Amino acid sequence: MKNLSLGSKVHYLVAVALALLLVFGYQAGTAGRLSATAWATFAVLVLVVALSLYTVYRILWAVDNLTQKLKQAADGNLGQRITRIKNGAATHELAWALNDLLDQQEAYFSEVFSAFDHAARGQTFRLAVDQGLHGAFKDAMKRINISVDSLGQVQQMALKEKLVSQVTDLNSGNLIGNLRSIQEYLMNMTQELSIVGQLSKETAHEADDSRATIEHLVANLNQVAEMVAQTNAQITLLHEKSEEITQIVQVITDVADRTNLLALNAAIEAAHAGEVGKGFAVVAEEVRTLSENTKDAAASIADTIESFGRATARMIEDSEQVKDLAEGSRSAVTDFRAQVLKFADSAKTSLFQVNKAQDFSFASLVKVDHFLYKQNGYRVIHQGSDSAEAKAIQSDHRSCRLGNWYYQGQGAELFSQVPSFQSLEAPHASVHQHVHQAVDLLQGHWESDPSIQHRIFTHFEAAERASEAVVQIIDRMVEERHRAV
Amino acid sequence: MSTRPQPTQHERVLAEDDFIVSKTDLKGIITYGNRIFIQISGYTEQELLGEPHNILRHPDMPRAVFKLLWDTLQAKREIWAYVKNLAKDGSFYWVFANITPSFDSSGNPIGYYSVRRKPRPEAIQAIAPLYRTMLEAERKAGDGQAGMKASSAILQQVLEQKGVTYEEFVIGL
Repeated sequence: MKNLSLGSKVHYLVAVALALLLVFGYQAGTAGRLSATAWATFAVLVLVVALSLYTVYRILWAVDNLTQKLKQAADGNLGQRITRIKNGAATHELAWALNDLLDQQEAYFSEVFSAFDHAARGQTFRLAVDQGLHGAFKDAMKRINISVDSLGQVQQMALKEKLVSQVTDLNSGNLIGNLRSIQEYLMNMTQELSIVGQLSKETAHEADDSRATIEHLVANLNQVAEMVAQTNAQITLLHEKSEEITQIVQVITDVADRTNLLALNAAIEAAHAGEVGKGFAVVAEEVRTLSENTKDAAASIADTIESFGRATARMIEDSEQVKDLAEGSRSAVTDFRAQVLKFADSAKTSLFQVNKAQDFSFASLVKVDHFLYKQNGYRVIHQGSDSAEAKAIQSDHRSCRLGNWYYQGQGAELFSQVPSFQSLEAPHASVHQHVHQAVDLLQGHWESDPSIQHRIFTHFEAAERASEAVVQIIDRMVEERHRAV
Repeated sequence: MSTRPQPTQHERVLAEDDFIVSKTDLKGIITYGNRIFIQISGYTEQELLGEPHNILRHPDMPRAVFKLLWDTLQAKREIWAYVKNLAKDGSFYWVFANITPSFDSSGNPIGYYSVRRKPRPEAIQAIAPLYRTMLEAERKAGDGQAGMKASSAILQQVLEQKGVTYEEFVIGL
């Protein structure tokens, strides 16, 4: 009852008043100065006071109940209501007014809760309903709906962002995988091409050697053919001479025949002369024997010459064949020479093409390296500055593949003379610097700082521009080198 | 309350700025009603307290709507529904009811809190024919489980055609 301090006081006061009246009545009664009417009035007075007391007590009980509900409401429990409210009771209107207030409050909070709950799930169609709310509740609800609406939009945007970011992450993850496989492929291709290049070079050398050999062979064959022709001519000459000798031998045979005939006639004439002609007959016999011997010798010479002629005729025949063979070989070798020359030419062309292909493939590899480098830079945003991606981009413009190529590798060797070579260094260094600076900024509190985010973006943007320049210059360098060749 | 009032064609209309507030326990027994509720339903506070909320159920209402209502509440979610209620004198009144489960401080459900507002006339024009069709289906199937199924299927078809959820549908009317 300590909550009823007011009630206790009233109770106390009414009790005192009653006591005083009773004392007054008793004293007045003993003094015998009061009429029956006065006594009746006094009784009514007592009754009225008692009723008042009861009414006050009831009001106090109701007020106590209201106070309890209000306290609970003050504690945030808006679910309580006063029920079974008696019509005509003094606190009737007060109780309903309290219920109405709690109805307004509970409806207000219920609506706000539901609307925010939906908005947080991206369901913007469920706004807080202000219909039925009054005054400040209604006004506040209208303002809250503006917040709910923008919260819903933010939530929808966040959900969208989340998807976009997830998809981007997925895409860039796959992109990196794809680029890596292309990088690997290009590396293999560059390597293969360098082997093919080496082979082509060797082939070109060998073709040159073959050409020299074939020229030598052609020269030799020409010489052989010439010599065969000469021999042939000489043999023909020899054959002609042997025929001349045959004719001379025929003349000698004729002379020997006629001498023989003369010797015979001389012997006959000597026989006619008798003894006188005896010595002459001996001479004639000797002459005849001489001419017989001459004829025999001429016949054996003719035999020899005939076999000689047969031999030279055979030799001429053979020599003709050798000449034909030599001619045939020469034309075969000439054809072969033309083929070797063509082969040497195509070996040179293919060496040139292979070199070009090698350059293109290396240029592609360098481009892919740079795409990959930038992609890794972007991935640090998602993966954090301790990630593998962050480590992958630590290389600078001297230690990366392009840097090695440019400063000490084939680039320095083969490209340093082309006009665009010098202009590659600055943009290439810039790609690495900007990505490094962006990633350094990613180590700080960039998530909550728009100015850092802006700087990161600016660095990535600059890296993209520089990278574009690198790609263009490499293309130009390859073009310049092969135009020069 | 054993005899139901005979429905009449007389309509009672909620004031634009008022709402009916009522509370029930988990079984749907009325534990509180505000003065608007008492006034429009035609019952006294004494008559309403302790009675099931379905004493206000109008025979024009398809049962599938109440099934959806209870299923949603038991899943601890709020529900919106257009409801045609029956007053003590047989007249009817349309409300756009929002019912939410109430929880104690430990998060246990302790009852339901319902705020009923005056629906837009266009919404009633749209929903009344749908309810008639659903009710028809329920009656045709003999009011059993089959009826409930057929009736729910009609509602589902309408939602699928519009490509919206039930919640979007009723709030958007």
